[in-house]
Amino acid sequence: MAAKNREQLLHFYEDMLRIRFFEEKIRDVLLPQKLFRGSSHLAIGQEAVAVGAIHALRPDDTVISTHRGHSHALAKGMDPPTVFAEIMGRRTGCCRGKGGSMHLADESLHFMGENPVVGSNAPMAAGLALAAKLDGSGRVTAAFFGEGALNTGAFHEAANLAALWSLPVLFLCENNLYAISVPLDKSSASLDLERRAEAYGIKGQRVNGMRVMEVYDAVSAAVEETRAKSVPSYLVFDTYRFEGHHTADKQTYRTHEEALEEFRKRDPIHILEFEMIDDHTVPIPTTIQYRDRIRAEIDQAFEEALAEPWPEPDDALSGVYAEGGE
Amino acid sequence: MADPRMRNITFAQAIRTAIREEMKRDARVILFGEDVGYYGGVYGATVGLQKEFGEDRVRDTPISEMAIAGVAVGAALAGYRPIAEIMYCDFLAHASDAIVNNAAKWRYMTGGQFTLPIVFRSPGGGGAGYAAQHSQSLEAWFTHIPGLKVIAPGLPRDARGLLKAAIRDENPVVFLEHKAHYGFKGDVPAEEEVIPIGVADVKREGQDVTLVSWSKTLTFALEAAETLAREGIDVEVIDPRTLQPLDIDTILGSVRKTGRLVIAHEAVQFGGFGAEIAAQVAEQAWDALKRPPLRIGAPFVPLPYSEPMERFVIPQVEDIVAGVRAYVR
Repeated sequence: MAAKNREQLLHFYEDMLRIRFFEEKIRDVLLPQKLFRGSSHLAIGQEAVAVGAIHALRPDDTVISTHRGHSHALAKGMDPPTVFAEIMGRRTGCCRGKGGSMHLADESLHFMGENPVVGSNAPMAAGLALAAKLDGSGRVTAAFFGEGALNTGAFHEAANLAALWSLPVLFLCENNLYAISVPLDKSSASLDLERRAEAYGIKGQRVNGMRVMEVYDAVSAAVEETRAKSVPSYLVFDTYRFEGHHTADKQTYRTHEEALEEFRKRDPIHILEFEMIDDHTVPIPTTIQYRDRIRAEIDQAFEEALAEPWPEPDDALSGVYAEGGE
Repeated sequence: MADPRMRNITFAQAIRTAIREEMKRDARVILFGEDVGYYGGVYGATVGLQKEFGEDRVRDTPISEMAIAGVAVGAALAGYRPIAEIMYCDFLAHASDAIVNNAAKWRYMTGGQFTLPIVFRSPGGGGAGYAAQHSQSLEAWFTHIPGLKVIAPGLPRDARGLLKAAIRDENPVVFLEHKAHYGFKGDVPAEEEVIPIGVADVKREGQDVTLVSWSKTLTFALEAAETLAREGIDVEVIDPRTLQPLDIDTILGSVRKTGRLVIAHEAVQFGGFGAEIAAQVAEQAWDALKRPPLRIGAPFVPLPYSEPMERFVIPQVEDIVAGVRAYVR
């Protein structure tokens, strides 16, 4: 790793830590203290995909996400306090408490939202890309989804249309090996996931999703082509979620040892840390400083959000329709 | 002598006029769907629009209803005003994820960050012999979804004026046309006319009974009212035009005058939109009702193919005449 990348690596490192500590706070504090409702889908283990991919985009490029989208929201620049506040159902949350963990969005950051209906965001991404193409804005759209979405009709309809219409969209598949409880080899007839869009003329690419620089380099190249030629790209990132499908998942479908072993071998944050330390890009004390600083930032973000007010019950009745129409 | 301020055009021409006027007015309006471009739509509602506005703004799509509706949602989030045509309303079942889960809720779920100005146009209805999977009247599916507006015009003038309003509206609108009604002719103003969403229209004034109907069945109701008039039954025919939001006040005002309410629609009666109107009137104008409301709708069967059976299932003019006659007597 070249020294000239030091600043960039530390930026990636910081963003990955922020996502990790944010989600650990959900797991370790919000969950036991029952500070959120429903369930929350953690991307612990998948941070390198979100951070590497989103850093390869321009700030005005649009991103659309899934139920497992805290990582994308934070990598796109959303503030932890407003995201915590949303997850805890507070009036000052990014969606005023109407969306929760699965519907984070920030229009000002071009983070168009999470779509927790699996596969459903692929056609929307094609639509966002169509708009960019008609505008001539040069924007690209990145759609994140899990490997489970590859088996939906919506993904295939969108991929075909994106290729047919030459739309500047990136389909970014986070292969974490499990669709809730069903492992990849029991849900997919072919394990060559990168070939799923080949018949539409979209050459797929398989990327190690645990190494943030590899993600960044691969997505950067894809973005360049997508932007320059207005064509879709498709990348599959091999990753792993160290936590359950969501916070209520008993994880009976895999052994604790399996997840632990994966964590020991493949934790993207450890991988990055070790590499930075090994090649003397960053000394150990710096990594500790980063960890302490980000952890304190997340602690404070949580405390801030916890002090935020609840919505009025009848706030539920407002905001269904937009006013006007002329 | 024809009124020079009016043009007598078909329902399909009215739809086309509205889209054309709005595409000329606003470059953000785009149109796409199966066969809408080169071919002009399987019912001819979009003939000539691709030629006039180009292939960028008027697009033929593959047979991919999930993509058509989903692309509309995405394009709207990015500032466009898409009109997505779903060739048969039965295929809205495919498109429903994008319409019901995404378009209807995206604004609400994100605390009002986004607007979704989309029109989902789709022809429904029977009477043309297309059997059970190409003939349904599914307005009640969509009136039940907060975040959507639902329009089901019966006359060309309303179709044109309301489609223009729908395209200008900042919210997703399900605009239901009737496939056996595209050739139906009516007077439409030569000048531009935008008809506000959520305002009912009294199509015929009367004293004895309020008859509420929409889409193609409205024209049956108007015909039935003329027949009944000759028998001395004075029917007031109300076209809500918009089902969501519903102008219940106009209906209530009429019922307070007549004391009687009949709702006639082509959709299956059980759980149909007529039930909503009957319930609201019962709740709010019980004192004015001289007898319980009457619903005239289809029996609880899929639409059959063969003509005698299809005619039997879909409420016809004579069914409305007989129903109202017995109800009033």
